[in-house]
Amino acid sequence: MNIQLTHVEKSFGEQLAINDIDFTIQSGEICCLLGPSGSGKTTLIRLMIGALAPDQGTVRVGETKMPSMSMLRQIGFMPQNDGLYEDLSAEANLEFFGSIYKLGKKALEARITEVLALVDLTQDRKKLVRNFSGGMKKRLSLAIAILHKPDVLFLDEPTVGIDPILRRQIWDQFQTIRAEGTTIIVSTHVMDEVLECDRAALIYNGRLIAYDTVQHLLDQTENGRVEELFLIAGEQEVGEHA
Amino acid sequence: MRNLAKRVIFQTLNDKRSVALILIAPLLILTLVYFLLGDSDYVPTVVLDEDAQEQLVEAFEEETLVVKQAAFDDPKTYIEDHEDVDAVFEMTPDGTAITLREPSTKSSKAVREIQDALTTLNPAVEMDTAFVYGEEDQSTFDSFGFVFLSLFSFFFVFILSAMALVKERSGGTLERLLMTPIKRAQVILGYTAGYGVFAIVQSIFIVLYSIYVLGLASIGNMAWVMLTMLLMAGTAVLFGATISVFARSELQVVQMIPFTIIPQVFFSGLIPLDLIPYGLGNLSYVMPIYYGATAIKEVMVYGSGFAGIWIYLLGLIVYAGVLFLLNMRALGKYRGH
Repeated sequence: MNIQLTHVEKSFGEQLAINDIDFTIQSGEICCLLGPSGSGKTTLIRLMIGALAPDQGTVRVGETKMPSMSMLRQIGFMPQNDGLYEDLSAEANLEFFGSIYKLGKKALEARITEVLALVDLTQDRKKLVRNFSGGMKKRLSLAIAILHKPDVLFLDEPTVGIDPILRRQIWDQFQTIRAEGTTIIVSTHVMDEVLECDRAALIYNGRLIAYDTVQHLLDQTENGRVEELFLIAGEQEVGEHA
Repeated sequence: MRNLAKRVIFQTLNDKRSVALILIAPLLILTLVYFLLGDSDYVPTVVLDEDAQEQLVEAFEEETLVVKQAAFDDPKTYIEDHEDVDAVFEMTPDGTAITLREPSTKSSKAVREIQDALTTLNPAVEMDTAFVYGEEDQSTFDSFGFVFLSLFSFFFVFILSAMALVKERSGGTLERLLMTPIKRAQVILGYTAGYGVFAIVQSIFIVLYSIYVLGLASIGNMAWVMLTMLLMAGTAVLFGATISVFARSELQVVQMIPFTIIPQVFFSGLIPLDLIPYGLGNLSYVMPIYYGATAIKEVMVYGSGFAGIWIYLLGLIVYAGVLFLLNMRALGKYRGH
């Protein structure tokens, strides 16, 4: 399912958080939203999942205009802070979120076993989340986000505070999910992760400064480092104001 | 809604402190209040002049008093110099005079006993006191116990729900929950139902404990008291949820207690509302505890049935309804409304 943003604007009070963003994320791709913190990545994700309504422009997931209650069934969302019930076991967290999608008891049980295996938490399913390590929480959070087999998966900085080995594992899981046909939108400010994605959207001060395949973007730089694109954008901005 | 209620219950059961807060804390504090406000066996010490008539001294000794005789010039300095003396009684040319240390319950007890002694000397001034509701010799706990039933059913559930919801907001679980196809009303009702189960257990605990262990008297049917406590607890869940909108952390919920709970304590029936000056008593109408405490008092002290309390219960339901709508609005924020 593709996602189309048409001239989307959103402000909080006086602050223009998203400034005329217009692009389409292709179905079945991994698209990364890249930008420094405070650039508007989380706001953009919240507009796409329908947690916020745009002031101007439209957001469509497939044919449906967001925010949409019925679309929530097809969307998976992994928030920045894990969003887990600390006083429940991993299994109970999954059971609770799963019960909202009304998958049926048998099907839900089977699916829980499946996603726990995918994120490698089968051993710890009965453990209370408050006894989990940071990495385990991230993985459980991912398991919840994909529990109902969403067509589109939004991941808000999924690898913050995760060591490189675990980060590798988590990205392998994203690739597996993507191989099943899920569109994945992932926000990050870690430049290495861009190489894992099909396309990257560069967000800077609430504006989309570039959106292209990762290879094309890298071709524009001198040293093949994505950071340079932001430096170029910064210089352009100074030029405009001068 | 059922699955959310179930989750709230399991979540609370897995947190021992929450369980203790809702089930044990009320009983602990009730017991403490029972002893603090219960009958005290304090015997005041009264000093008479050393030349006092023997008849007078005997009458004093009949009462629950420690009677001493001493020579003194000024009763005030005498009390100042003798820490154990509560009162000095003198016969003066114009009648009698009592000098007391300070306005306190000890002093009023001394005055009461002295008046009794004087009545035995002069039976003509004997006065019989009778009450329509309650009895003369009941302790402060018996008179005010009902206030604590309403206060506790509100306070502990409020704390628990406000903290749990702040945690949901700051921990991102609420955001995640509202990104599933659950209805907003289901979220609020699920919460109320989940804590409602604890409220039922809590009210049973409190009522049984205060009646059978602490001997709190009620002339009305306790079923109405329990119903009121349940409605109070339901309102408390919604009140806590509303307050949680204004708090960023659990600590801030605690910081807001002086604004949310403490004023309600004063309007819960501890002070008769007619005695509150400048019409401030009318403030009670915006406090949920007023409706609960008044209904419980009607049942326990005046022996009213449903006919006597329905208006207060309706008040609570309307209050809860308003809070429900406020919460619906607050949750809308997560859904692009």
